Amino acid sequence: MALDIKPTRSELINLKRRIKQTQNGYKLLKMKRDGLFHEFRTLLSEMISAKQELTGTYKLALQRINLASAVEGGLAVKSAALASSTHPEVDVKRRNIMGVVVPSVEGTNLRVDMEKRGIGLIGSSPYIDEAADSYGKLIEKVVNAAEMEATLKRLLAEIESTKRRVNALEFKVIPEMEEARDFIQLRLEEMEREETFRLKRFKNK
Amino acid sequence: MEIAVVGTSDFTLGFQLAGINRLYNSDDIEESAEHLKDLLNDKSVGIVVVNSELLTKLPERLRLRLSNSITPTVLGIGTEEDNTLRESIRKAIGVDLWK
Repeated sequence: MALDIKPTRSELINLKRRIKQTQNGYKLLKMKRDGLFHEFRTLLSEMISAKQELTGTYKLALQRINLASAVEGGLAVKSAALASSTHPEVDVKRRNIMGVVVPSVEGTNLRVDMEKRGIGLIGSSPYIDEAADSYGKLIEKVVNAAEMEATLKRLLAEIESTKRRVNALEFKVIPEMEEARDFIQLRLEEMEREETFRLKRFKNK
Repeated sequence: MEIAVVGTSDFTLGFQLAGINRLYNSDDIEESAEHLKDLLNDKSVGIVVVNSELLTKLPERLRLRLSNSITPTVLGIGTEEDNTLRESIRKAIGVDLWK
């Protein structure tokens, strides 16, 4: 690759400056990668426990709803489900972790109070209430886990691309520029030697 | 934004009880796949909840698209934990950090 460089002094100076610049950028990117990684590790341990909780809550909710449909009949559960009038909503905002925009999800109306469920206190059974309650809890966990999952995915993508850039600089860009610098230096020295030799021969004549 | 639930009617019933009204019931895998594809392009949905059993039966390409999507975020829940995130961590970092 070193063939298309002009071995001039000004090119050498330029190249030296560029190498310094690139090494600076490389250091910064490396720090960014490590920072992202650190952030990722702390979030990951939270995520793991959140996922476990999610699975646990889901199992419980499933049990409760099965019990409700066994005791009250599937139709009663279905009609209670149709009657519920408040709907959970999520609000997605943006948050910034080291230059990575991640969503921060906030939920409203996640858990529905018993009176507001639209069935009335007398019309519903405790089993259905319990099932609805545990599904409300489950949705809370779902919102939380979804936020973390999205954050982790973004961080992962960013870590991957930063890693690629760091590696490209370390193993491709900087070595190539150093090779070019060495080539120019050698060539300049060679030219100097040629020049002195030429002068000597000139004198001897 | 809303929460949407895709799965069999048994799966979605509980979520309906908690007040979610974006339900996509279907027992058929291909039909669910169609629902999921529509949901991916839906701007009014923030979170999609899918049964993880269904998630494992979906075609590979769609599964990849679902796990890479951020809005909406697709979350598989079930009695067994899903490993899509674990896989992507292993791919991006090269080490299995999920411990």
